[in-house]
Amino acid sequence: MTRWCSACAPDSLFNERPRDKRDRRNEPPPLEFHDLTVAYHKRPVLWGIDLEIPKGQLVGIIGPNGAGKSTLIKAAMGLLPLNSGWVKVFGEPIKKNLKRVGYVPQRESVDWDFPVSVMDVVLMGRYGHLGLMRRPKKHDRDIARDCLEKVKMLPYANRQISNLSGGQQQRVFLARALAQESDIYFMDEPFAGVDAATESAIVAILHELKERGKTLLVVHHDLPTAKEYFDSLLLLNMRVVAFGPTEEVFKYDLLQSTYGGRLTILSEVAEAVREKS
Amino acid sequence: MNELIPAFEWQQHVVAPWTTGLKSTLWIVLMGFFVATACGLLGNYLILRRMALVGDAISHSVLAGIGVAVVLALQLDTPTLFIAALLAGLAATLIIEIIHRYTRVKQDAAIGIAFTSLFALGVILISMKSGKVHIDTECVLYGEVALVPLEQFKLTLAPALAGAVDKLPMSEVYLRGNELVMAPDVIRMGFVALAVALLVWIFYKELLVSSFDPALAFSLGINATVVHYALMALLSVVVVSAFESVGAILVVAMLILPGATAHLLSARLPVILALTVLHAALGTLMGFHLATWLNCSIAGAFVVAGMGLFCLAWLLSPYDGLLAHWHRRRNRKARTAQRKLARTPRARETENLPKPLPVPPQLPALWARSSIG
Amino acid sequence: MRHLPAIVLLALLASVMPAWADRIGDISETSVLEQAKRFFSFRDPSVRYAIIGSILLGISCGLMGGFIVVRKMALFGDTLSHAVLPGVALGFLWNMDKDPVAIFIGATLAGLLGGAMVALIRQTTRLKEDTALGIVLASFFAVGICLLTRIQKMPGNKGGLDEFLFGSAASIGRADIILMAVVTGLALLLVGLFYKELLVTSFDAAFARAAGFPVNVINYALTLLLAFSVVVALRAVGVVLVSAMLITPAATAYLLTDRMHRLLGLAALFGVMAGAVGAFISFLTTNIPTGPLMVMAATMVFVLAFFFGPRHGVLMRWWRQKSRSARVKRENTLKAVYHVLEAREFEGEGVSLRELAERRRETLDEARAQSGALCQHHFATLHDDGDAIHLTPDGWQRACEIVRNHRLWELYLTNEAHIAPDHVHEDAEIIEHVLGEETVRELERALNHATRDPHGRSIPGIADLATGSAPFGPPEPVTGYTPRP
Repeated sequence: MTRWCSACAPDSLFNERPRDKRDRRNEPPPLEFHDLTVAYHKRPVLWGIDLEIPKGQLVGIIGPNGAGKSTLIKAAMGLLPLNSGWVKVFGEPIKKNLKRVGYVPQRESVDWDFPVSVMDVVLMGRYGHLGLMRRPKKHDRDIARDCLEKVKMLPYANRQISNLSGGQQQRVFLARALAQESDIYFMDEPFAGVDAATESAIVAILHELKERGKTLLVVHHDLPTAKEYFDSLLLLNMRVVAFGPTEEVFKYDLLQSTYGGRLTILSEVAEAVREKS
Repeated sequence: MNELIPAFEWQQHVVAPWTTGLKSTLWIVLMGFFVATACGLLGNYLILRRMALVGDAISHSVLAGIGVAVVLALQLDTPTLFIAALLAGLAATLIIEIIHRYTRVKQDAAIGIAFTSLFALGVILISMKSGKVHIDTECVLYGEVALVPLEQFKLTLAPALAGAVDKLPMSEVYLRGNELVMAPDVIRMGFVALAVALLVWIFYKELLVSSFDPALAFSLGINATVVHYALMALLSVVVVSAFESVGAILVVAMLILPGATAHLLSARLPVILALTVLHAALGTLMGFHLATWLNCSIAGAFVVAGMGLFCLAWLLSPYDGLLAHWHRRRNRKARTAQRKLARTPRARETENLPKPLPVPPQLPALWARSSIG
Repeated sequence: MRHLPAIVLLALLASVMPAWADRIGDISETSVLEQAKRFFSFRDPSVRYAIIGSILLGISCGLMGGFIVVRKMALFGDTLSHAVLPGVALGFLWNMDKDPVAIFIGATLAGLLGGAMVALIRQTTRLKEDTALGIVLASFFAVGICLLTRIQKMPGNKGGLDEFLFGSAASIGRADIILMAVVTGLALLLVGLFYKELLVTSFDAAFARAAGFPVNVINYALTLLLAFSVVVALRAVGVVLVSAMLITPAATAYLLTDRMHRLLGLAALFGVMAGAVGAFISFLTTNIPTGPLMVMAATMVFVLAFFFGPRHGVLMRWWRQKSRSARVKRENTLKAVYHVLEAREFEGEGVSLRELAERRRETLDEARAQSGALCQHHFATLHDDGDAIHLTPDGWQRACEIVRNHRLWELYLTNEAHIAPDHVHEDAEIIEHVLGEETVRELERALNHATRDPHGRSIPGIADLATGSAPFGPPEPVTGYTPRP
């Protein structure tokens, strides 16, 4: 089993491909939430989120089931209607900055029987850079191949995606996100149901992306590893319980108020809101 | 039984249509091919998006639009029918949406209510006025592709052009002197099929991503809602063009069968699209000869032939076929048996036991699994 | 609720009236009445058969439909009902006659074969359920069409076979009725005997399996009953629309009740109504097939339930929404009165409309309208020629409760959820109207019975609720919550 780390990953992939030459030093923060409220079927899932994520952070989003972790990501990507508040990506509404956002959905969210090959899926990451009616060029294929190489999936490039293991499927998704060449990445439980080798490979890639100034928001459900993997944590349970560097946030009382006990009234009230409105 | 299945005569049922009866054969087969191609290409995306039964719903609902047009005593010309059908398709989508959103009735029941109601409304409206128009209720069910060659339009060509056309194969079918004689329905359907093929080619990327992963499509700036409604609109157009020749219910088969067959044979979308067209061609050809032989509804025979091809693919497909499944299962069993043989000394006795019966298809799996669409 | 069926029936008749008047227009007015009279005298055996038949098919389809709708298998029912067509044709071929028994057997076998094929496709290929259903539905139907067109070109008497496509209640004969009665009786008997098993397998198959119920047997039996119901309904409703008789009445019942046994009962009732009305109208007209008429009748019932259903109907929900927003408005007025009183440290009893209007930043007329609403609900009384309002004990108590909810929630958000104090007001504006007493008590406990909100104002306590009138001086900081009398 090969365990690989950032040191032995091929450098070529991460060579800067400057897309536009604007000076980005003084640009607004990658991600801002203001007073964000999202409800499913009238039941609030996120309530009054105020957040600003600084550039170049690897943020783990931690919280119990139903805390709104995935919802936060989907709301940030503009996939859900907002009940109040706004989200800005680099100081602008998400619609204007779609190309700077990469997304790794939960593995179960797509149909793995879909008739496409591994290569096709990774090439989808390039579609944002192609215009209408344009086909992927050799350049795009080269990038896709690099990304596959990076996640050690190049030998499987021509496989149909249903013939992959869970870890391999997750790597393909990661390669696709890499091919998007975005500045912010949203990842929904990338470690769910993957093997140990894939898990450490993903962690290495996440850190490397962070080193290159990308901003990453990763939904995670495993507490013990959260402390190792991320340098800042967002504790979420309908509200932001805490957000900051891991060593400051990973405290018993904060985790306690995230995972249980005193904030349960929130969900009770959410139920009342749903019933009565 | 002899009455039901007439004797098969090669000369009469296969050769004659292409020699003496060429004039009608060509148009009918072309019509079937165009319908199956347009429907099949579009149907592929319905299958991928798990919306096969929405196609069913829309094809039934189109009848309500036609019924309203009949009652309003509108001219049943092409533009009117198209608009009526588009509106009916839209109405069906809206009704499903409204029932689903404002009540706790689930999507599948909402589809069931919407299309049966619209279809019933269409039948009632048409039969109230029947006798005055040429659409009758049976045509609604299985179409009249045999009537296609009867309607003709003529176009006079310049002599030079006519001379050039004369050199094309089978020119005796569509050229009479300097006049080009065509079946207008076939030409129209040809254009629809061509349009569908072009659209699928142009928007290949967008259709692929929005079907595979709508969230990714959004983050790539592709509006999945627009793609969805465009697909529905195109579906309505295709269904109404195919309606008169194959009828409201058989069009569902035209939508699903070619794509489903291709899905069994390949796991690559481009290959699947090509196989869809192949299925359309083979199914139409075989169906036509089946109908000539059995002297039954041609549209019905198209579908029966298509179903035959599907069953063939289902049986023989190298990785999704029944034979491959059984082969694999037997191999697995043989291997476990060998392992057991090696382990237990008494294993030899089991060799003489009768083979276990093949496991019957499990209906309950369907009862237990419930999500549709 | 008890009169609902009668009302629905009347509304239905009213709604279909124009349709048939339009059609009969070219005959003459009197003959419609005579026709109707003849129908209701039940003299003709064909009328009696049609009515009994539609009642029986309504019951069996309603019962089975109830199960397939709650199991989210409505479209399986649709597929099954299309798949019976080749069986009908083969049953006819058996002795070139519309022998009900032969057709019944053929159609049932074809339906079951279709169901089995759907399951087999699902299990052995990667095709999804909807595709499998579509394939079976359309292909079986096509085979049926080929056979029917073939039969029609054969010599001999084969009239009326196309009745199976759209249905004809008038063609129901004695033998059909006997078959229908047997099937309906069987359905009623089995559902009655095995209600508990059917319920648990429909709700949670995995649990049922674990609890030792023979899930597979029950499912096979249900599929068989479903096929039977479809087949006996064929003659009257037709292959194409028989699924509507399964789905629509059951979906209508689903809108009206939350209990399975009531759902089944209502579904059967609506099925009977749709069947009878459809048969009646098709008797009055000559060339409209029965099936579509029955289906439209069923759809009418659904539309009525959609709008006027007592619990989930669109109108009722709209009404509830309206009354709720009126209540929120009243409560906000009460709160404003409290705030005015609080601002002058509870000096004097009355609040003038001008003060209220200023507080709420409204016109005097709006303030007057709202005071009127308060008086109507006995929360306040008007004084000084209608220029000032005094809260009644009830009104005072409600106002205290609202203010209390608001401030407790603000405090909770600031203390426990660490929200900045200037962010919590808007939230509390919504929450104050929905907090129940238990949640309030829980909040008090979580907050250690605090008496001041994050902005430093006092939270009204039990004393204010108990005195029943505006206290003079700031409220006593007593904790605890007494339920209203």
